[in-house]
Amino acid sequence: MYDPIHGINGEQRNIYIRDGFITTKPATSVRIDRNYDLNDMIIMAGAIDIHTHIGGGKVNIARMMLPEDHRGDPVARTAITRSGSGYTAPSTFATGYRYAEMGYTTCIEPAMLPANARHAHMEMADIPIIDKGAYALLGNDDFFLRMLASGKDRSLICDYVSWIINATKAIGIKVVNPGGISAFKFNQRKLDLDETNSHYGVTPRQILITLARAVRELGIPHPLHVHGCNLGVPGNLLTTLDTIRAAEGLPMHLAHIQFHSYGTEGDRKFSSGSAHIAEAVNANSNISIDVGQILFGQTVTASGDTMLQYAGHRHAHPNKWVIMDIECDAGCGVVPFKYRDKSFVNALQWTIGLELFLLVNDPWRIFLTTDHPNGAPFTSYPHLIRLLMDRSFRNDMLSTIHKQAAAVSILGSLDREYSLYEIAIMTRAAPARSLGLQNRGHLGAGAAADITVYKNLKNREAMFAKPVYVFKDGELVARNGKIIKVINGSTHILKPEYDKGIEKTLKNYFDKYHTMKLDHFKINDDEIVAHGNGNIIVQSCM
Amino acid sequence: MTPLTFELKINPGFPLDISPLIPDLLSTQSKIQIKSIPITHNKEKIPAAELFTITGNDHKNICIHSNNGKLYNVGQKMSFGTIEVKGDVGDFLGQEMQGGYIKVHGNARAWAGCSMTGGRIDIAGDTGDHAGAGIPGDAHGMSKGMIYISGNAGDRVGDRMRRGIIIIGGKAGNYCGSRMYAGTIIVLDKTGKYAGVAMKRGTIILAKKPAHIYATFESCGIQEMEFLRLLFTQLSAMGKEFSIFGKFRPEAHRYSGDHSRNGKGEILIL
Repeated sequence: MYDPIHGINGEQRNIYIRDGFITTKPATSVRIDRNYDLNDMIIMAGAIDIHTHIGGGKVNIARMMLPEDHRGDPVARTAITRSGSGYTAPSTFATGYRYAEMGYTTCIEPAMLPANARHAHMEMADIPIIDKGAYALLGNDDFFLRMLASGKDRSLICDYVSWIINATKAIGIKVVNPGGISAFKFNQRKLDLDETNSHYGVTPRQILITLARAVRELGIPHPLHVHGCNLGVPGNLLTTLDTIRAAEGLPMHLAHIQFHSYGTEGDRKFSSGSAHIAEAVNANSNISIDVGQILFGQTVTASGDTMLQYAGHRHAHPNKWVIMDIECDAGCGVVPFKYRDKSFVNALQWTIGLELFLLVNDPWRIFLTTDHPNGAPFTSYPHLIRLLMDRSFRNDMLSTIHKQAAAVSILGSLDREYSLYEIAIMTRAAPARSLGLQNRGHLGAGAAADITVYKNLKNREAMFAKPVYVFKDGELVARNGKIIKVINGSTHILKPEYDKGIEKTLKNYFDKYHTMKLDHFKINDDEIVAHGNGNIIVQSCM
Repeated sequence: MTPLTFELKINPGFPLDISPLIPDLLSTQSKIQIKSIPITHNKEKIPAAELFTITGNDHKNICIHSNNGKLYNVGQKMSFGTIEVKGDVGDFLGQEMQGGYIKVHGNARAWAGCSMTGGRIDIAGDTGDHAGAGIPGDAHGMSKGMIYISGNAGDRVGDRMRRGIIIIGGKAGNYCGSRMYAGTIIVLDKTGKYAGVAMKRGTIILAKKPAHIYATFESCGIQEMEFLRLLFTQLSAMGKEFSIFGKFRPEAHRYSGDHSRNGKGEILIL
């Protein structure tokens, strides 16, 4: 059993499940309904994906735009599961089944636009088995930028952030290209950390620090989830280091940092900045990261960052793309992309992600993601875990990629191999702690019985692809990588406090500018639980 | 060697998806394997031998006898060999076909040759809508190859077509060559409304003046074109079914359009 929250590293233990929760050993008089013999198997809590685009408008656009993706990967219905389709942007049902089959039991949608929150929640309600949650997207919306530009009081901004979390049923706050999505609409095609948005006159640095402070003051467990400036631009390594400094010691989570770790050295003016980034992450304990590893093959990039997606649209494969504005509050860009192992840039991106995994020392602050579907579909996680745990396999793969990229990379010289304990930290314990999910990600008494049982295979890819048993809330949902029971997961939300007075200001604003009324904007608890779509779990603020 | 012949034994109540019956798959299989190929009929999969009488030994040349238009996906994704159909076929004839030759002695229904990327399809009878178009959702339609329809065609022939030639001996429906990217469509009889609407490039050649030309097409007058002479010479040399092209003069009334898009396409009226 591997349970890092309780420091259990490969010990043999018994687990008792009662009414969907793990309990302590019951009295001998209590009858045990069912026994599972898990000798010689690996037991971990259900895995948690902290950053995966599984719901909301952009995923739907990706689905609509890529009919070939859906034609090419049909999933037939069975007696208990529903049909679906799609490899890079799977349908909701296929998403839920595939995550559960891999032993994942909680997934967080990282970019829920407040104006689109209802759609995102409805779509996530369709995702079976797994628990869901979402970060609300702020930092490019007109109301917030106006407040910031006019120097409004800090407490007022806190109230607004808190109101947004309550109204959209979110579990955290994310900022995407702070101020940049808005700047794109005012014809700016690039926005550095200290460059001002030409309309509002505020800089990304101000936005970041304001939101990070608000998140801290509201006691939101998950730090501000940052998709920084200059994603994908060679040389953005410096921006990322500046962003880490700009946090001023406040907790901050840097998402898909692989895309933010590029230097400009070498003949091709594109190089790895992983060593610098890893050094900065190791030195700043307030920073946590997820990697956003790329893996080779066809995928689709879906992001709120219209500025970078517009810059990348020329590389669309197949050649079609969407850039759109959403309610003047943010944007959305969907560009299909094929990562090629024989391309210098793609091969180097692959090595940069792996270097980051291996150079960051503390597995409690680095999470395993591919930024699904931007780096690769989530179904490639077992492959990624094998790359991390098996050095010789990693070096074999390294020898197949673009020769020059392999030559300039330090990946071959890195000997580190992740242990099962570290994988358990990275995919279970650390995300649960970071998100503030109190009864998830561990196997102690009181935890929800989300348990994944693997066969201890030498081939870690095969091992993590098809767990022997997956329990969700005490129900056995998957056996040997096949769904055997379908249940509905819960939605994790926060209810931070705020001064109701903010609604008066907001009501005036909504009446004047918005496409809907304030009362319609707010999502009711009943909307999420309606039609038996699983319940709501309110996590507590710090 | 006689062609591998599939003679339909039953009168199917539902569409029969016969996409596995293509030379690419059959040429590597033995007769016994072929007899057990599962064919989708309604919700069931039925072994081929229960549906067809299978004779012949040339697995690269296939002959299918059909008594109605319930055979779907004939020649789907085939890349070589020939398929000859005696009788009618259903939708999606030669869908995503990459090469080879399909000859249908009867009629075909909608989506004949849709998204094909090579090869040739001859249809002796009529076809439904969307011949040579793209699968719904795809950016482009047919991107190479040739479709020859002796009879009439339905609406939206060559919708979003990318490359290749479609020749229609009879009439074409409305929206002929709509949203075309490139390629050539020749209609020897009457054409419906909205020919070439939203076309980007490409050529639509009409032997008879249509009753209706869309407002976004502009007359460029009567022109003599070397391209037409080359095209007609080439086509008339391709076989006696195309001997009529030897009679056309390389002169046409040219309409350019669609000017609501970029106006690089053309309708040529002989």
